[in-house]
Amino acid sequence: MNVILGVSLIFLFGLVASRFAGRIKTPAITGYLIIGIILGPYVLNFVPKSVIDVSGLISNLALSFIAFSLGQNFSRSVFQQVGRQVMWISILAALGACLFVFVGMLVLKLAFYTSLLFGVIAAATAPAALIMVVRQYKAKGRFTEILMGVVAIDDAWGLIAFSLGLAFARAIYFNQTSNIMQIILKSLLEIAGSFVLGVVLGAMFNLFGKYMKTQRDLLVYTLGMLMLTCGLALHFHFSVLLSCMFLSAVVINSRRENFRFFEALQNIDWPIYLLFFVLAGANLEVDLLKDIGLIGLVYVVTRMIGKYIGTYFGAVISKADSDVKKYLALAQMPQAGVALGMALIAKSSFPQVGGMIFTTIAATTIVYEIIGPYFVRVALEKAGQIPAVSAAAEQVMEEVQA
Amino acid sequence: MQIKDIMQTKVVSVRRALSLTKLLGLFREFHSFPFIPVVDGNNTLIGVVHIRGFFDIFKPYHENILMRNPLSLVAQEDTDIFDVDIEEGMGSLIIVADIMDKKVVKIEENQDLKEAYELIQLNKCEMIAVVDAENKLTGIISMFDIVMAVSKEKGLI
Repeated sequence: MNVILGVSLIFLFGLVASRFAGRIKTPAITGYLIIGIILGPYVLNFVPKSVIDVSGLISNLALSFIAFSLGQNFSRSVFQQVGRQVMWISILAALGACLFVFVGMLVLKLAFYTSLLFGVIAAATAPAALIMVVRQYKAKGRFTEILMGVVAIDDAWGLIAFSLGLAFARAIYFNQTSNIMQIILKSLLEIAGSFVLGVVLGAMFNLFGKYMKTQRDLLVYTLGMLMLTCGLALHFHFSVLLSCMFLSAVVINSRRENFRFFEALQNIDWPIYLLFFVLAGANLEVDLLKDIGLIGLVYVVTRMIGKYIGTYFGAVISKADSDVKKYLALAQMPQAGVALGMALIAKSSFPQVGGMIFTTIAATTIVYEIIGPYFVRVALEKAGQIPAVSAAAEQVMEEVQA
Repeated sequence: MQIKDIMQTKVVSVRRALSLTKLLGLFREFHSFPFIPVVDGNNTLIGVVHIRGFFDIFKPYHENILMRNPLSLVAQEDTDIFDVDIEEGMGSLIIVADIMDKKVVKIEENQDLKEAYELIQLNKCEMIAVVDAENKLTGIISMFDIVMAVSKEKGLI
């Protein structure tokens, strides 16, 4: 089977899977993942090897897209708009999850860098699962707004944490004989290099961006600059994710009109994500599943505890309501796209342990996807966001009319 | 030719505290407008309101929060105008500031007509707001105005 035929099957089956997932109130990404497992080498073996071989290319492209879009969150207007509570809660919840999962994995006697990778992957959450629950129950209110703000932005923190963790883990892994100073230096170099690359290309992006006069130019220019950043980052062994995030942070803050570049990209990004997640499913090593029981369990539990404690402290520092303190963490349980992407990178960077990490994250993603929505619903209910409780609102309406 | 030579200077604009009911009334009266500019007390342009903003108010959360996370898309978008919850009294509770779009596409009146044309093309819209050097709203220019002006210049009309 040739590559084009393989890709066509992925697109068409992916489309069917996402429709089916929507029917049973599950995010499209879960559908892609499962269809990927089914089409993959362990079940139907429909995805040709030639397509699996380009997984690395697709995932770099998809993750550049994701990092570039998430980088928009680092704009002045967003910082003003989302406010202190969302900032504190999202940062501390991400940190909490990183820390607890990291320690949990160390307790299981995994290697230092493996534990670190698990820790930094744990920060990511999944907006899609949440939106479905919120829509389904028509939840609304301050709690819902804070929750949406947190899930929209915490993937950005997660990507930063992951990039830093990855740089450090790589330095440890490839320099096991050298001393600690050298390891720290190597990882700092990777981070600083990504920063310089992103900032320089971002300035260039902005400089020539004003000459783009049509939608077509906008799209081609954005794609070209994004791939240039990704390609140069790969060439110099910098972090692709960090470089792309710095690129977009510079672009979004340089000129007000620059939001157009992000919108242009939105026209074409979804097929790339589809390909990426189906291939993620096809890459899953199903026979590893039986070995990950305990690690998976510890990952799920420590991530929950970390999110809970992080959210609690974030809420205390930013003086949020007691509902936010108590229940917001529950609603941050779903995990999907970004975590899978990170795990795929870990898989390609660390051939020995990567397969285990990826399989664990994929399996726990499915677990979280099943239990996550239930937790979200409980959280929204407890926080009084589901409209059966809107008697107070009705009273206000009556007063307004009177 | 400059934009100010052919732009429409009679523009309906609103302040951000106007209620939804009154806003919809304005749209009904001037149904050819795809948007209405929003200005502050000094006539400075601060945003525009599209009829699209109407869909957003009845959603449980502000959709724009999620625009910045590419993976927030879900399989089936149920943003259905026939399904919105509208309770009585909302028309006066919701104001322009709730639904206005601050990412406003605008152009300065001293710029060339060609630039207005390019900007309208680039943003795939029908018309854009025109401001002076101090960002005060002075008019509006549409593709129709440009076509008319060019036709006149070429002696078609």
